[in-house]
Amino acid sequence: MQSRRRFDLLVFSAFVAFVLGCPGTLFGQFQPPTDEELKMTAEPKVPGAAAIYLYREETVDDNLHFHSFYARIKVLTEKGKELATVGVPYAKGQDSVTDVKARTIHADGTIIPLDVKPADLVEHKGSGYQINKLVFTLPSVEVGSILEYRWQLRYPDDKLNSPDWDVQQPYYVRKAHYMFYPFKLLDRVIDNKGNGSSKLLYTTMLPPGAKVVYEQNSGKYTLDVTDLSPIPDEEYMPPINAFMARVKFYYSSFFNKEDYWKHEGGSWSKEMDRFANESKGLKEAVASLISPADSEDVKAHKLYDAVMTVDNTDYTRRKSSAEMKQLGIKQVKDAEDVWKQKSGSSDEIALLYLAMARIAGLKSYATVICNRDRELFNQYFMSMQQLDDVLVIVTVGGKEIVVDPGRRYANFGELDWRHMFASGLRQIDKGTSFFTTSGNSYKEAKTIRVADLTLHKDGSITGLVRISMSGPAALRWRHLALENDEDEVKKQFDESMKALVPDGVTADFDHFIGLTDYHTNLMGVVKISGNLGTVTGKRVFLPGLFFESHAKHPFVAEETRLTPVDMSYPDSVSDEVVYHLPEEFSVESAPADTTVPWTNHAAFVLKSTTGKNQITVGRTLAKNFTLLDPKEYKDLRDFYQKIATADQQPLMLTAAAATNGN
Amino acid sequence: MRRPKSAIALALLVMTSVKPADASLFGKDKVQPAPTWAVDAAKIATPATAKNSEAVILSDEDLLTIDDKGRAVERERLVTRILKPQGRNDWGVCHASYDVDEKINYLRVWTILPDGKQLQAMEADFHEIGFNQDSVLLVTEKARYAVAPGADPGAVVICESEVQLRSYIDEKMWTFQYSIPVVNEALEVDLPPGRHHAESWHHYEAAKGMEMGPNRWRWELAQVPALDLRKTADAPDWMALAGRMSVLWGDAAVKGADNQWRAIGQWVDQLEAHRPDPTPAITAETLKLIEGAPDYYQKLNKITDYIQKNIRYFVIERGIGGHQAHPAGDIFRYRYGDCKDKTTLLISMLEVAGIHAYYVPVDHRRGFVDPALPSAFGDHMITAIEVPADVHDDRLQAIVKASNGKRYLIFDPTDERTPGGSLESSLQGSYGLLVVGAESQIVQLPILQPDASGANRVGAFKLAADGSITGAVDTTRRGAEGGAIRMRLKRNDEKDLRQDLERSLGEDIPGVTLDTYKYAEPDPLDKPVTLHYEVTAHQYGKQVGPLMLVRPRVVASYARPVSRDPRTVPIDLQATGHWHDSFDIAIPDGYVVDDMPTPVSLDTDFASYHSTVSAPESGKGKVLHYERDYIVKQLELPAEKQPDYLHLQGIIGSDEKATVVLKKLQ
Repeated sequence: MQSRRRFDLLVFSAFVAFVLGCPGTLFGQFQPPTDEELKMTAEPKVPGAAAIYLYREETVDDNLHFHSFYARIKVLTEKGKELATVGVPYAKGQDSVTDVKARTIHADGTIIPLDVKPADLVEHKGSGYQINKLVFTLPSVEVGSILEYRWQLRYPDDKLNSPDWDVQQPYYVRKAHYMFYPFKLLDRVIDNKGNGSSKLLYTTMLPPGAKVVYEQNSGKYTLDVTDLSPIPDEEYMPPINAFMARVKFYYSSFFNKEDYWKHEGGSWSKEMDRFANESKGLKEAVASLISPADSEDVKAHKLYDAVMTVDNTDYTRRKSSAEMKQLGIKQVKDAEDVWKQKSGSSDEIALLYLAMARIAGLKSYATVICNRDRELFNQYFMSMQQLDDVLVIVTVGGKEIVVDPGRRYANFGELDWRHMFASGLRQIDKGTSFFTTSGNSYKEAKTIRVADLTLHKDGSITGLVRISMSGPAALRWRHLALENDEDEVKKQFDESMKALVPDGVTADFDHFIGLTDYHTNLMGVVKISGNLGTVTGKRVFLPGLFFESHAKHPFVAEETRLTPVDMSYPDSVSDEVVYHLPEEFSVESAPADTTVPWTNHAAFVLKSTTGKNQITVGRTLAKNFTLLDPKEYKDLRDFYQKIATADQQPLMLTAAAATNGN
Repeated sequence: MRRPKSAIALALLVMTSVKPADASLFGKDKVQPAPTWAVDAAKIATPATAKNSEAVILSDEDLLTIDDKGRAVERERLVTRILKPQGRNDWGVCHASYDVDEKINYLRVWTILPDGKQLQAMEADFHEIGFNQDSVLLVTEKARYAVAPGADPGAVVICESEVQLRSYIDEKMWTFQYSIPVVNEALEVDLPPGRHHAESWHHYEAAKGMEMGPNRWRWELAQVPALDLRKTADAPDWMALAGRMSVLWGDAAVKGADNQWRAIGQWVDQLEAHRPDPTPAITAETLKLIEGAPDYYQKLNKITDYIQKNIRYFVIERGIGGHQAHPAGDIFRYRYGDCKDKTTLLISMLEVAGIHAYYVPVDHRRGFVDPALPSAFGDHMITAIEVPADVHDDRLQAIVKASNGKRYLIFDPTDERTPGGSLESSLQGSYGLLVVGAESQIVQLPILQPDASGANRVGAFKLAADGSITGAVDTTRRGAEGGAIRMRLKRNDEKDLRQDLERSLGEDIPGVTLDTYKYAEPDPLDKPVTLHYEVTAHQYGKQVGPLMLVRPRVVASYARPVSRDPRTVPIDLQATGHWHDSFDIAIPDGYVVDDMPTPVSLDTDFASYHSTVSAPESGKGKVLHYERDYIVKQLELPAEKQPDYLHLQGIIGSDEKATVVLKKLQ
C-alpha cells in the first residue's frame, strides 16, 4: 500500500533554471561494498524481488559533452542474473561509449573484474544513420553477487544532450544520485531549427520528498532519491509513463510551459492550416460533392464520406520517396495533393477533411492527440513528440463534433478507441489550447450475439450464430479486412469463435454483412455444429452460457491493485441463446436469473426463459467506464467475481434415456 | 503518426551540426531495369494451387560457387508474386543476412507492377538490422533488407543477392519448401575440379542432379506445395516437416549416410579439439566436488549439478563462435556460456573425474535432425556421457547404446533444472550426432518411460451448504516436468509466480482466492518439486432449488484445444508422462448424492485415461472422492490417428466438466 500512495502523490512540476558557475566532478567510482550489502539475501521492502539497485548514478555534463552511468546491483534470485548483461545504445559515427568498467563482487567479497572487451553490435542502420549497442556481460555472477559497472557516452563538441532521467526502474532502487551540468554558454545554444535556446527548463514527476536541487556554486543540478519502488506491472494498466518517476531537462527558447505550448502550438497550427489550405482544385472538388442547399450536417457527412474513399496508406502501404519518384508521383505537400492522388496517411486524410469542411463553410479545427494506448499526454513535459494523430473538430449546427477521418471506416463522430479520452492540442480561433476528447457510451459499442441452436437426441448440436457489432469491435474487423483479404479475416474470425464456443462445438464462419459499409453495424454469420453437454445417470448438462464456457474474466484472481484500471472503452455485450430441445428432454434447471448492478459503472443481467421444448438464455454485460482508480478495485473485482460465478451455471436437462455427449 | 524527435536535438551556433551520411555499398542513384531472368519469371502464371495463398514464388534459384580453397559465394534470385494484402508483410521484403566473417556483395530489389512498369529499391530504401535482441545473446549476425517498392497484390517482387559465405562450412542446406507454393525452384552448386559432393533429402522426393558443366550440378523442382501449419494445433515443428536438401562438398562428401555422419562428427571433434582441456583451476574444483562421492552416479551428479547451477546461460556467437566452443578455462573463469560452452566444461570436469564424455550436436526442434540427411546444421549442443559397463543405476534413464556397444547417458547441461539421468521432453525421440572421433554416429535420443516424468496431485476440500469451498492441494512433480517447474521458479520472481498460480487456478475455479502457497525445491535436482496451496471459493457448488451441482475435478486440466479439420501432419503429444489426481470433497451436512457421472476408462497404444467419482456408503457418505490417472506413452501420433486423439480429448474434456448432483435431505 505504501508504494501505491507514492504513485498517487507523484507531482508534476516545471521549472525555469538559471545556469551559473562551472562544473567539475568525479563520477561513478567503484565503491567497496558494505558488510550489509554483501550479506543481504532479500530486501524487506520488496519481498521476493529478483534484484535491487543498491545505487545508481547518472551524470550529464554538457560542457565536457558526456553522459556517465554507474550502477551497483544486488542479485537476489536466479532471475536477477538477467541484469548481468548490459547494453548501451549509441549513434555510431557520432557518439562513442568509453570507459566501460565492470566487476562482480561475490557475497564473500571476492572481486572478479570484467576483462573481456565489450561487443559493438549493429542495432539498426539506415540511410545516413546507424544505431549500435555496446554489449557486455559480467563474469562469474551468482545469486548474492553485487554487479557494479560504469560507462560513459561521449558526444561531439557541437552537440548538447540534456538528460531525461528515468528515475523509476523495473527494479527497486535503494539510492540514486543524478547530476547535470548544463552548458555554460547558454546564449550560444540553438535548436536544429536555428532558434536560440538559451533557457534551461526542467520538468519533474517525482515521489514526495524528492526534488531537483540547483547548486549555485557549481552550477549543477542534482537529484537524490531513496527507496524507490519498482515500476508497476499489472494487467489493464494505462500506459506506464503516467506513473513513472522521471525528470526531463530542456534547452529551450521559452521561459515556461505556457510559453512553450503557445509557440510550439502556434507552429503546429500554422502547419495544419498550410496543409489544409483552400486551393482551387479542392474548392472545385467540394463544389462537386455538396450542394449549396445542403444543411451543415449533410455537408459534413458528404465530405466525410468522400474522404473516406481515399486510400489510407496507414492500412495499406506507404510509398517510399524513391518509388514515388520512379512512378512520377509528386510528394504530397498539401490536402489538394491527397485528394488528387486519392491516397494519403491518416493525418493527411484528416487534414483533407479539414480543408474541405472549411471550404464548405463549416467552422473546423485541427486537433492532435496522444494515442491512449501508447502514452497519456502530459502538458508538463514540453515535447510535441507526445502527440500522435490528427483529428478534426467540425462545427455543425453550432455544435462542435470531433471526427476521425484518418481512421478508415470510423463512422462520422466515431473515434478509434485510442483517440477517446485522449488529450493533446487543438486549434482555436486565436491560437491553440489543450484539449481532451470525450469517450463513447457503452451504447455505441455494442456486440450482440444471437445463437439459434438445436440439440439433437444423440447429443449433437447444429445451428447458426449471428454476431452484430458496432463501435470499436466492428472497426477492428474492418481494419483487419483492409490489411488482409477476406479469407484471412474469415480465418481470424473462426479463431476468435473458437475461444467463444464450448469444447466439442465447431464454429464455421460463413459470411460478413456490412464489412465495408461503416454506416451499418457489422454482422458475422457463423454455422455451428458438434457435440455439446456432459451426461450423468439421469441428466444432461449443457453450458448455461453458450458464449462464456471459456470466458476468462479479468480481475477475479488478483486481490490487490496498485495502478488504475484501463478497460480501453465502454461497451456492452448481449447474448441471446435459444436451445431447441428434443421431445425426450426437459429442462430441470436453467441458469438462475441474476442481476449484478454496479451503480454508475456497469450492470450484468442474466435471464432464462423456458418454453415448450425450448429454452432461451439471455445475458448482457454493459460497462460504462474506462478508467478506474485503484480505490475502486475492490468493487470491480467483486463485480467480475459475481459474473464469473453466474457464467458458470449449467443448463440441466432431464432425459428419458441420457445419451452420450462429447 | 509520431513526430520526429527534431525539437530535442541541439547544436552550438558556432559549429556545424550536420554529419555526412554514411557511405553505402548498396547505394544506387540510377534506376536499372530488372534483369531478363526476372522479367521472364514474372511472366509465369499464378498456379491454381496458390488460390488461397498470400503470395506465390514464381522462381527461386540459388547458385553456390565454391573456389579451390573451399570458399563459397551464394547468389540467390527470388521472384515472388504478391497475391493478397497480407502477402506484403512477409514477401514484399528482400533481405540477405551475414556475419562478421561473411560479406554481402550486393542486394538488389525490383518490382514489376501488374501493368508491366518496373520499380527499383534505391539507397534510402535499404536498412540493416542486428539479430542481437535478447539479454542472453551476443550475436554478431545481421541482415540487410529493403521493402520492395510497389509491393501490392498483383506485383512481382524480385530479390537478388550475393553473399560471400564463411569458409568453414562445407554444406548448403537448401530449404525449398515454404509456407506458400513455389512454381520453379533450383539449386546449382559449382564445385572446383576434383571436389566431390553428396546430397540427401528430407521429407521430399529426391530430384536427380544434372551436371550442367564440369562439376557444376543443378537440381530443379517444380510445383512445390505450400506447407502452412499456422492453423494446425499440436503440429510438429515446421522445420521438421518442410522439404529440404543438404549438399556436402567437404570431407563429409563421402558415400553413405553413416560415413557422412562420421565425417561431420570428426569435423566437430577437430573444431572442439583441446577446448575441453582442464586447467588447474578446473581440476581443483572438480576434485573438490567429487571428494567422497561413493559411486559413478554421485560423482556424475555432483559435476552435472555444478554446471547446471553455476554456469549462467549466455550465448556469444561471433562468426565461427556460433559453432566452436570457448576454451573450458575461460568458461570456468567467467561462469557463463552457451550450450557448446556448457558441454565443453562438462566434458572437461568429467575428464578430471575419470568419466569420458562427448559432444552431441542436436536441434531443439524434434524431427529437424534426420538420420537420412547428414548435416552439420542444428541449433543446440548436448553431452553424451559414457556409462561404464559395470554401472547399472535406475536413476540413469536417458541412456542410448551406440553401435560401438558402449552405453551413453544423454544429458543437456544447458537445461539447468532437469536432473542428471533424465532428459527434457523436447529432446526425447530426436536424433543427435554422437561425436566420438572415428566412431561418430547418428543416434536417437531416448524416449523415457511415462513414469519418469509427471505429477501427483492430492486435494482435500470442504464444501459448505452455501456452495463455498475451501481446501488444500499438494502437487509433486518429478523428472522433466519437475525440471520445467524449477525453470519457472528460476525465471520468475515471487510476484509473477503468485500471479501465474492465481491465473491458473482462476481458470479452474472462477473467483477463487489463493490463501497461501509454497513451492519446495530441494537442492538435489533429482528430488521432486512440491507445491502446497490453499484456496477458498464462493459459490463453487451451484445451488438449484434443493440440488447442488458440484464439479469433482476441482483443479488441473489435461484437455487440449483440438480441431476437427482433417489432418495431414502428425500430432505432437510433446511429452510422455504420468499424471495422477486424487481429490476428496467433504459434502455439507444434510446433502446426499443424487446423481453421479459415470466412470471413464480409455486405453490406447499412445495414452490412457481413467477417472472415477465415488461416494462411499452408497451415496450417503460425507466425502466425494474423485480420482483420475492419465498416461501419455508416445511423443507423436501419425495423422491417421486423429480420430483416436479426438476421442481421447473428448473423453478428457467431458470428464473435466462432469458434475455430481447433491440433493438436500428434506
